[in-house]
Amino acid sequence: MPNESIFERLSAAIIAGDKDKLSVAIEDALREGVTLTDIIDRGLSSGMKEVGERFARYEVYLPEMMMAAEAWEHAMKVLEPKLLDAGVERKKMGRVVIGTVRSDIHSLGKNIVAAMLKMSGFEVFDLGIDVAASAFINKAQEVSADIIAASALMATTMPQQKNIIEYLKARGERDKYCILVGGGCTTQEWADNIGADGYGKTAGDAVALALKAVSHKEASR
Amino acid sequence: MINFSKIVERAVTGPLCSERDFDLEIFVPNLRNVLTKYDIKYDPQNPVPADDELADRVWAAAVEFLYKTGVYCLDTERLILFTRDEIEGAIETGPRGVVFGADKDAKAMPRRFPEDKKPPWCSVGAAGSPVSSEWYLLNLVRAYAENPLGDSITTPSLTKVDGQDVVAGSPIGVEGAIRTMILVREALRRAGRPGMPIVNAVATAVRSQEHIAGHHFGIRTTDALEIGTVHELKVDFDALNKVAYSLGAGSLIFAENGVILGGLSGGPAGVSVVTAAYNPVDLLIIRGAVQHPFPTHFDLKTTSTRDTIWARNLATQAITRNSTLPVNNCGYVGAGPMTKMAFYEYAAWVIGAVVCGGSIEAGGSARGTGVDYTSPMEPLFSSEVAHAVAGMSRKEANDIVTALLEKYEDKLHSPPIGKRYQECCDIVTGTPSKKFIELYREVRREMADQFGLRFPCTSPYL
Repeated sequence: MPNESIFERLSAAIIAGDKDKLSVAIEDALREGVTLTDIIDRGLSSGMKEVGERFARYEVYLPEMMMAAEAWEHAMKVLEPKLLDAGVERKKMGRVVIGTVRSDIHSLGKNIVAAMLKMSGFEVFDLGIDVAASAFINKAQEVSADIIAASALMATTMPQQKNIIEYLKARGERDKYCILVGGGCTTQEWADNIGADGYGKTAGDAVALALKAVSHKEASR
Repeated sequence: MINFSKIVERAVTGPLCSERDFDLEIFVPNLRNVLTKYDIKYDPQNPVPADDELADRVWAAAVEFLYKTGVYCLDTERLILFTRDEIEGAIETGPRGVVFGADKDAKAMPRRFPEDKKPPWCSVGAAGSPVSSEWYLLNLVRAYAENPLGDSITTPSLTKVDGQDVVAGSPIGVEGAIRTMILVREALRRAGRPGMPIVNAVATAVRSQEHIAGHHFGIRTTDALEIGTVHELKVDFDALNKVAYSLGAGSLIFAENGVILGGLSGGPAGVSVVTAAYNPVDLLIIRGAVQHPFPTHFDLKTTSTRDTIWARNLATQAITRNSTLPVNNCGYVGAGPMTKMAFYEYAAWVIGAVVCGGSIEAGGSARGTGVDYTSPMEPLFSSEVAHAVAGMSRKEANDIVTALLEKYEDKLHSPPIGKRYQECCDIVTGTPSKKFIELYREVRREMADQFGLRFPCTSPYL
């Protein structure tokens, strides 16, 4: 029976975003015979959950989120091949293509949402800022995404969110992806008007929306 | 001060760096180091700090942070680095007493200090807030200009031109910028203040080509183009193009930076340092005649939260005690027009900003994002508060701001959206409704009775 301290070390390394300490903790855990599932669920995920909760309480901010998400990805690079070898299948939360729309260079809200989605187990493909409608869709197609998440801060860049939906419709692929929109000037009314599947008023809304979108997609299969 | 071509040269030849490494390997650790070294900690009990020594430590931290970090150019993925001497040289040789506006509407932007009795510069208007109709824009700007305490105009953004959505970077964006300028100039003429400076020039414009187009349809060299950086300490060629054009055209520049609380700068202590660090950036890169900060809460999307108010107030003191580049503080509140909460929020951040040595730009209600959720009343009220508290001690201001925060901060997660322009103002005359004027008078009386504020008697709605 592994002692609690190894899980605490795994969790603490995730919270600190410390990849070196995390690598050592994973090695020690494996040496102690801790199962892969326990390493992830009782160690890493518990750390990610803690970071998310602290973020919601405004105790930590974007840097801590980004570093924790990077540490998680670092750990999963080590653990995923072992999971495959062991024949353990872990449920993937879903794939998200995210970016800030064409002509808009505001990345912060998008970065927070991307970090939160990563921390919740989504595979996130961040296209950055000033992203063309077609680029969202091409990437979504390339990685078989479940969700396209488009951020727009300005009233004059919001129409680019509509473009993504129109582009998808023109390709006859509207139902292939769930479209989530958010950002400064956007509203639920706007999301409804353009036919988006979800609107996030805050970064915190994004994860709940993404989870709902994926479960809805699975249910409709 | 090193010249702009040197900046551009550094943007294209500086050390290569990925954006991720700039964020997480340079910016964040450097900021954490100076926060520890200079012992800068958030004090929620004192939203208006009154510690000169702390303010000077913030400035020292900001300068050290900037020369160790530099500014990141997104287009070239390179660092624009400065020496400490270059930063200090920029402060020593930066613009002073710059005059904005023309003819009888011309006025020098004051350099103010904490607790300064000099009246602050009041820029009035809903900076960039979306409005759906050219008619609303015209009447709003006219009403802004009819406020005698308004020193400059900051314009809202048109969302539609001839029924079409204004799309940034498109020909409709260019037309939107041109249309805005023509309307704003006409509004100022109707208000009888044709020389009043427009300081965010072409709010409808996002891209440099739109700025330039708008400039040719009414912007004067006595107005200012508003040019900003990208969060945090980043620039792109589009921003540098705006600077290059403005310098060539002889335009003044309002250098804007809205550090995001919760973003890369982290919490309030980091926001105060990064906001102060932007002051030399605004001189060296943006070539501003004034710094125009609006530290904003990442989640609540306002500048009226306790932590953003503290960060702004501390940064403003740090800057005004140590730099010659004046600070014109911009702000957005959560509640919408015709709500008491919006007035309280404006009063809270404006009082702090003014007693800490800054000037103000006010008018962005409903987070500055709800289409048509704007009115001329909030900028009017803000400018009156700003004049009423000039010369007040930071200690007294701290008590008032604390009391104001208690009135609204628990509602910031779901602030009342208030009324749209067309619901709270007469769309033909642009005059606020009778009920709105009554609410405004009631809040003025409340502020006078509770806090002893003596408002100027210049309001068109008394």
